[in-house]
Amino acid sequence: MLDLASRRAQFVFGSIATAIGFFLFFPLFWMISTSFKPEAEVFRRIPSPLPIAPTIQNYVGALTRSELPIYLQNSLVTAGLGALLTTVLAVCAAYSFAKFAYRGRTALMLLMISAQMFPFAVLLITLYPLMDAAGLLNTRIGLIISYIVFALPSGTYMLYSYFINIPTEVIEAARADGASELRILTVIVLPLSIPGLVTVGLYAFMWAWNDLLYSLTLITDPSLRTVGPGLLLSYLGESRNDWGGAMASSLIASLPVVVAFALVQRFFIQGLTAGAVKS
Amino acid sequence: MLPLSARAPQVGGLKRAEARFGIALVALPLAAFTAVILYPFVDALRLSLYRYTLMTPQPVFDGLRNFERLAEDGEIGPIWVNTVVFVVATTAATFVLGLAWAIILNQPFRGRTIIRSASLLPWVLPSTVTAFIWAWILNAQYGVLNAALLVAGLIDEPIAWLATPEGAMSGVVLAKTWLSVPLFSAFFLAGLQALPLEQVEAARIDGATNGQVIRHVVLPHLRTTMVVTLVLGAMGNLQQFDVIYAMTGGGPVRATTVLSLEVRRQAFENWNIGLASAVGVIWFLTIAGPAYIYLRSLFRQG
Repeated sequence: MLDLASRRAQFVFGSIATAIGFFLFFPLFWMISTSFKPEAEVFRRIPSPLPIAPTIQNYVGALTRSELPIYLQNSLVTAGLGALLTTVLAVCAAYSFAKFAYRGRTALMLLMISAQMFPFAVLLITLYPLMDAAGLLNTRIGLIISYIVFALPSGTYMLYSYFINIPTEVIEAARADGASELRILTVIVLPLSIPGLVTVGLYAFMWAWNDLLYSLTLITDPSLRTVGPGLLLSYLGESRNDWGGAMASSLIASLPVVVAFALVQRFFIQGLTAGAVKS
Repeated sequence: MLPLSARAPQVGGLKRAEARFGIALVALPLAAFTAVILYPFVDALRLSLYRYTLMTPQPVFDGLRNFERLAEDGEIGPIWVNTVVFVVATTAATFVLGLAWAIILNQPFRGRTIIRSASLLPWVLPSTVTAFIWAWILNAQYGVLNAALLVAGLIDEPIAWLATPEGAMSGVVLAKTWLSVPLFSAFFLAGLQALPLEQVEAARIDGATNGQVIRHVVLPHLRTTMVVTLVLGAMGNLQQFDVIYAMTGGGPVRATTVLSLEVRRQAFENWNIGLASAVGVIWFLTIAGPAYIYLRSLFRQG
């Protein structure tokens, strides 16, 4: 697209690319580098870019002397089931909106999609007493149910865009063959929509895994804490100076989302950006 | 984007049983949506008109007193300004960097595929991790930013970035920008890949320079993407709680307290639900503008 034949164009392009690349990647490099440094190297006014005497002590400490493994386990359960619940609900809603006609359908869909703009912290004001009344405060189930807040509205819209593109003739043909509605959904529609399902599932998982606000407010029992508040409360306060440990724990806490993302990123980016580009 | 009515099934030709299945399908998500999202939202707005605190555990109707209290208190003004500063600065910085990065990644060069994937990493990391990374970089005593500036001779003494109001605000803007550039550039890149190359070639034949190609071909082509990205980005930044809370806790002295932090503080630290709801109403009014633009573009297109 750009013509980089001239020296000047190459220089401008190269400088901007290097600057933005540095901004994006240096913090990651610094996290990794710090996580392998012994304490004496972490606390130097002019630090060395790479660890001089690399050590895995920060990782050993994070996995054996901290609560991190418990937080990881809690996050895996709550984010995993929260994503599953969100995806199932979004599939039902989106398929209904895309392929069935009934009164109030458009208004209902508009309402659900508009909910993207409801401020999450405001919902908590009522969600908290609601969960309390239902006995779900300080429980994994309560957190899992709350996690639909993050991705149900946008997930419904993403899946709607997938389902609407499945030809209605395919569905009609199956109906003519006597297939039940439920069978049509599970055998025909869902297999055709796997990229969409993966996108919504991972999107919901990322939101839940990365959440701080809800987990911090709805969970106070340390044994149920998830990674977001877990990390924050472990490294705040007096132990706040353990930056090597904080960076190693951060890296471990990031791995599950990074791996999940790496496996399906091609689908994911397509699914996520589909709505924003004029077709 | 898809208009709601496009390619929707025709009501006339539909059997009753099908419609019933459609309604049955939507029942469960609708129930969950109502209980967990819609009802809490409406109820929170309602409670802004009630006195509802730790001392008054049963809500008592109080008219607009909560809003008057906010006005008398005088804190909501600066918090609103903080919010606007944060949202505008972050959205603008992310927009410019995201667009530039997308144009760069759209050029063919060796290793482009890997860079494209890797540059999404900042967006994937948990928000607490993002906050840790930037708090560490900006650390007063051992932060690498201070080290670099000292070595370069630009400062004589390390600066406690997060301890000053301006420094803390710049810090959270920087962290949130870092976190969002990947998503913005993914959106722009998708838009660029849909750009017909003939248009660029035609402009080249007319003798257009790189700057002219960007201004007259690329940017007009990306118009829709830019609107959607700006509005979605602004809405996301208005929602932002995690990174700011983890990095500064809203400090120093409220300098980085935005509406989301204030709602949580009033509701779950002061246990003044009515006042928290009133802040929520102000927040909702702030978010409603961009949201309206976004939703209108979502439903009018195609």
